[in-house]
Amino acid sequence: MSTSVLEQPTAPPAPPVLTTLDDRALVRRAKSGDLAAYDELVRRYQERIYATLYHMTANHEDANDLAQEAFIKAYHSLRSFKGDSTFFTWLYRIAVNRAINFLKQRKHKTHLSLNDLDFNAEHDPDLVALISDKTPRREAGLAELQEKLNAAMLQLSETHRLVVALHDVQGLSHEEISRIMDCNVGTVRSRLFYARQQLQSLLSDYLKSA
Amino acid sequence: MSQSPDNFDALQKLLALKRHEPPPPGYFNRFAGRVIAQLESEGGMQSPTWWQRWWEALNSPPVLALSYGAVIVGLVMLGTGLLQTLELEADPSLAASQPWLPRESLSMAAAATVVAEVPRPPAIDSAGPASSFSPVLGNSAPPFLFNPNGLTAQRVSYQPR
Repeated sequence: MSTSVLEQPTAPPAPPVLTTLDDRALVRRAKSGDLAAYDELVRRYQERIYATLYHMTANHEDANDLAQEAFIKAYHSLRSFKGDSTFFTWLYRIAVNRAINFLKQRKHKTHLSLNDLDFNAEHDPDLVALISDKTPRREAGLAELQEKLNAAMLQLSETHRLVVALHDVQGLSHEEISRIMDCNVGTVRSRLFYARQQLQSLLSDYLKSA
Repeated sequence: MSQSPDNFDALQKLLALKRHEPPPPGYFNRFAGRVIAQLESEGGMQSPTWWQRWWEALNSPPVLALSYGAVIVGLVMLGTGLLQTLELEADPSLAASQPWLPRESLSMAAAATVVAEVPRPPAIDSAGPASSFSPVLGNSAPPFLFNPNGLTAQRVSYQPR
């Protein structure tokens, strides 16, 4: 299922004129078969879509495959996109629905394939402070913490995990999440609260007392 | 380790760790290229089927949808008009009661009356009116059910003895 990342050639960037167009104009062009316009849309949202799928699956290969499928599915469904919501929200819905379906099928086959932490993680004061010498796991490094965190995330239900990934990791607002998940803001808040409570209990060893 | 259930500050800081998990270097430089390459190998945008085009047309801007609606309403009205004309042909007396109908309709109704007055072929048994013995083969037309000819209502006086 997974695609080799390194074997693929690097694609040239989109023509400069396309980068100045807004999403609506690019969608119009893509609908008429302009693949360069769609390429620009992919470049705009690939990082956010990938990140959401990665935080949902805790697996790079799965996130990569799901992201590709989501963009391809979105292209084939462009005709049904009427502009009632933003392209970004619509695309997110496609990606999230695919991820949820995928995770339901993968229920009993969970393995972590985590990306390496970047250099900034080691210098993030909040994260350094979290690895406190007062905790029983003071020997835990960031890599172990990352693994524990992702394992805890995987214990949440798909909808709870999604809300945490979109809000606490990616920084989307409650309103944006409600549009993506097609539910009201109150439901988003409630899911977020219960998901955090569950995570807090699962990661209590790593959380310093306030 | 105790922590208020409503205070998620520490948890949110821990979750921030996930922002430091980027994919392999250069991943996003190739990602879009792979998506587009796959779309090109599939032949780009698939041409829609006839019903997809029809559905899109119905869901397209309101002006077009309204024009579709107008055509449908027009067809329904035309059908209703034709139906009324056919009813007039069958019963010309309706023409008198509906003077607003066009002349063509009336002339068609008159033609229908002429057709109705063409003498019938002689019946096999012309001896008498239809009866329970010969209910079908009678020469004369059966009396109209609700306005029998020759029958007039007369006041009846009754005086008890």
